[in-house]
Amino acid sequence: MSAAANAKTELQSPGLPGSASKPARKWFLAALLIALLLFPLTNLVSGSMNYVLFMMLYIFMYIAMASSWNIIGGYTGYTSLGHNVFFAIGAYFSGVMLVYFKISPYLTAPLAGLLAMGVGLLVGVISLRTRGPAFIISTVAMILLVKITFDNWDYIGGSNGLSLPIPDLDVTISKFPPYYAMLLLAVGAVYLSYRIRHSKFGLGLRAISQDETKAEVAGINTNYYKILAFAISALFVGMAGSIWGYYLTYLRPNIFLTVLMAAQLVLMTLLGGKGTVAGPVVGAVVFILANEFFVSQLGFTELNIVATGVLMIVVLLFFPEGIVGTLKERGKLPQFLDWE
Amino acid sequence: MTQMVQIFLLGMSLGGVYALMAAGLTIVFGVMRIVNIAHAAFMFIAAYITYFLFQSFGVDPILSILVTMPVMYLLGVVVYRLVFARIADSSRFAELTVLLTFSLALVIEGLLGAMFTNIYRSTNPRYATDAILFGNFYLPEGQFYATLISLALLGGLWLFLRTTRTGYAIRAAMQNRTAAQVVGVDVSRISTIAFGLGMAMAGASGSLSSFLFTFFPGKHWEWVAILLSLIVLGGMGSLLGSLVGAFALAVSAAYVSYFYGPTWSPITFFLALFLILMFRPRGLFGKPMEA
Repeated sequence: MSAAANAKTELQSPGLPGSASKPARKWFLAALLIALLLFPLTNLVSGSMNYVLFMMLYIFMYIAMASSWNIIGGYTGYTSLGHNVFFAIGAYFSGVMLVYFKISPYLTAPLAGLLAMGVGLLVGVISLRTRGPAFIISTVAMILLVKITFDNWDYIGGSNGLSLPIPDLDVTISKFPPYYAMLLLAVGAVYLSYRIRHSKFGLGLRAISQDETKAEVAGINTNYYKILAFAISALFVGMAGSIWGYYLTYLRPNIFLTVLMAAQLVLMTLLGGKGTVAGPVVGAVVFILANEFFVSQLGFTELNIVATGVLMIVVLLFFPEGIVGTLKERGKLPQFLDWE
Repeated sequence: MTQMVQIFLLGMSLGGVYALMAAGLTIVFGVMRIVNIAHAAFMFIAAYITYFLFQSFGVDPILSILVTMPVMYLLGVVVYRLVFARIADSSRFAELTVLLTFSLALVIEGLLGAMFTNIYRSTNPRYATDAILFGNFYLPEGQFYATLISLALLGGLWLFLRTTRTGYAIRAAMQNRTAAQVVGVDVSRISTIAFGLGMAMAGASGSLSSFLFTFFPGKHWEWVAILLSLIVLGGMGSLLGSLVGAFALAVSAAYVSYFYGPTWSPITFFLALFLILMFRPRGLFGKPMEA
């Protein structure tokens, strides 16, 4: 029992959602959500907010994906460097449905998510037989395997890619559908992550991350837990891929199956604080804004890659708990960010 | 039949270089338990140094090994001291090394891209395009030289590990790090040397691959997966294993390329990597890989 018991003592602090003990958090989140829902309307007035809307939907997308990744990478402690495989699967599924069957990706996105989850289940059954470095390497191998398959699969465009029809919307409202879709995904993924964190299932996952053997001895079906966590973590990533593919209107293995993208997902979660609910959210916001700053200041994308790598090394060596984790350790985490 | 033998020979003539690349990676894993995702990126540094020397001063790519090996050795020592020595006591050491070397690879990729742009490069000495005939069979001259030099370097490495005190210490640390420490091996010093040695091997193989393959900064991801598949098949941390794995997969890839076309040949490595990790993570000659 000891591993589970350890995890349990650590779990005492959090209150229930909206509990009276954390009024600041409750009001902060409610106000934030309303502001985000109303924000696009400013574009109807000024018409010049498209860039801001784009940045925000991009951040929402990464919040959704980092929060999902956190379920397997943070709670369970299995670092996956191959999660963009699910992103690509979602994008290609909805892309194919649109090009060949004329069904809008907004309708097929949930299916794309479920498909990604199904693939996650299959891959999880095989690759979660390994642990530690072997698991990480196998996820990198997964990206390369899928990339080579997609590159040679003519039905989905091969290495030249698949062009999707461009949505026919007036420019002032053209960002609205992806904005709200990504917002929905972000909220959904964070909520799911929160619920898992406070469930018996989440407790089991965290026991696995602390000591898998002890967790198993304590009666947790670790195999079942891990595989389920891996599959669930693919769900929102697949849906995000389907929306993003439609937004780009162009699918290509080169864009969707890069190792860099998988790395960014891991990095934002580490930066924010892996294994916490707010961590991936804070990480995604800080990382993307920093990234945008580097790109606008440094110009070239190569130096941007360098900055990403250096940032990752600094975080790994000096702040392994991330922003939220480090602040919490020092007791300086503002109440509105304490989402545990 | 002749065709099959010819393909076998072509595969074997690449196997030597693969073995050299894999040996560097497997030493680093064997001594320090570092899964060096940046190995191919380090190799690319050497390839670009070779490219620079060749384009600017006409230095022969094979001769430039004399430059790249010591340079990469020193770089390896510095990187080890700066990054890995700090985390030597971490409980999640193996996993951290994957993430750290991954980040290092990004840094290297970005720097190379900024300095040399993302265009495909390669050096083209005379022997890069010529072939040598052996009766009915031919071998590309560059591959032939590269394999000879790789085997010579691997022989040198073998002698070093077998006959010098430092070599003994390295092998002891590869067999059992804790026990080596108990009998008085300065494991921290040995680790630094071994990491440098692994990087020197990366340096030599980088110089050789500069005329065997085209490269651009982002391509190292593909290479590192290939290298990992070689040492995972052989058993991580086993030098003999990396040699066997390199030749076996090089030959298999040559056949896959012949039967299914060259675009499919890399899948040999990735599929092998995935399957071995799933079904026999310790590989042919290796010890089990703990978390």
